[in-house]
Amino acid sequence: MMDCKNLREVLDLYVDGELSPEATVQAEAHLAECQACRRAADRLQGLRHAVKTAVSQYQPAPQLASRVRKSTVSPWHRRPAWALAVATAALLIVAFAVSAAQLRGAVANTLEAAAFHLDDSRSVVMEGLLLCRDCQLKKEYGYHAMCPLKGHHGTLQAKDGKIWNILDGDASEDLIHNSALLGRTVRIHGRCFRRASSIEVDSYEVL
Amino acid sequence: MFLGQTLRAKHFERDALPHLPAVYRTARQLVGVESADDLVQETFLRAWKYFETFDPTTNCRAWLFRILRNVWIGRWRKSRMELPLVDTGGEQIEPYYDWEGEFLREELSADVERALAELPPDYRLAILLADVEDCTYEEIARIMECPIGTVMSRLNRGRRMLAKLIRAHGDAKPSSNQPREFVRRKP
Repeated sequence: MMDCKNLREVLDLYVDGELSPEATVQAEAHLAECQACRRAADRLQGLRHAVKTAVSQYQPAPQLASRVRKSTVSPWHRRPAWALAVATAALLIVAFAVSAAQLRGAVANTLEAAAFHLDDSRSVVMEGLLLCRDCQLKKEYGYHAMCPLKGHHGTLQAKDGKIWNILDGDASEDLIHNSALLGRTVRIHGRCFRRASSIEVDSYEVL
Repeated sequence: MFLGQTLRAKHFERDALPHLPAVYRTARQLVGVESADDLVQETFLRAWKYFETFDPTTNCRAWLFRILRNVWIGRWRKSRMELPLVDTGGEQIEPYYDWEGEFLREELSADVERALAELPPDYRLAILLADVEDCTYEEIARIMECPIGTVMSRLNRGRRMLAKLIRAHGDAKPSSNQPREFVRRKP
């Protein structure tokens, strides 16, 4: 049988549930008979609860949980070094491609602007493929062509790929409206209006 | 390699991250609200770094508390702000402590926190692990890297010291039941 001294020595173990089953039975038998020890056990238990209540009221901020997650299990953080290198290289390639396209566009615009100022309308002989302007725009840019309803509209694609509008005139009637000529290579004698990307036709020959 | 990393992250998320609230509340009592977030972050970073060394058949929470303690001690060594408790050995359990007075949980939270902050750090950690986190003595011994006997004496002495400090703070407060007659009124 446990006496007061024995019980007080194991009081912490008793409230912490660390006593063996046999010792717990003995401690409880003593507590059932001793009011002073029962009060001591209750008050130690009360202190335990008070500590738990005081400390448990605090929760981490959601930002902390997110920071911890980001610095540990977040995919970007845990990618191996080589994967990061590949991703960086891919990013650089995309950046270069984008900037190269922009660069190309800028150069083309600059050259075009220079040509505008340097080159006024003048007589030319221009060779190229006769194509339907609207079908070509549809093919290249997804333009909603009305050719099935309104018929094709002939235009000249020069050897450098640039498309020239053929201005309406007596000599150009067939070049613009005769679908049979589409796909043929033609040589046009006339005048070129660079700013308007247009040619006035004096005569032409189908090659 | 990606698969290994993904699996590791999955296990870390399942085993370690759910203990963030427990690690936080303990860290807050160890270093205060200003530094608690940093201590928690550093604890989890280290846990992530050494996650391969964690045995999944054991208690992850105890493993995290052990890392928390190591980070905390490492910080103390750097900052030299607070001396950890040095075990002198032969700490005796005080059997006849006079457990007088009630500990009313709701009313005492502020006093309990203040008293906890004044305890020697290793007493404080032992009490937090036992009373708040319900760790067993064996777990506490592993976390604090000391024998179970030392855990027992830290809890015994720590709780009695804590009770005295709470009472001291309670006694220092003006009683709300004091008569108001002493308040001087303007004529």
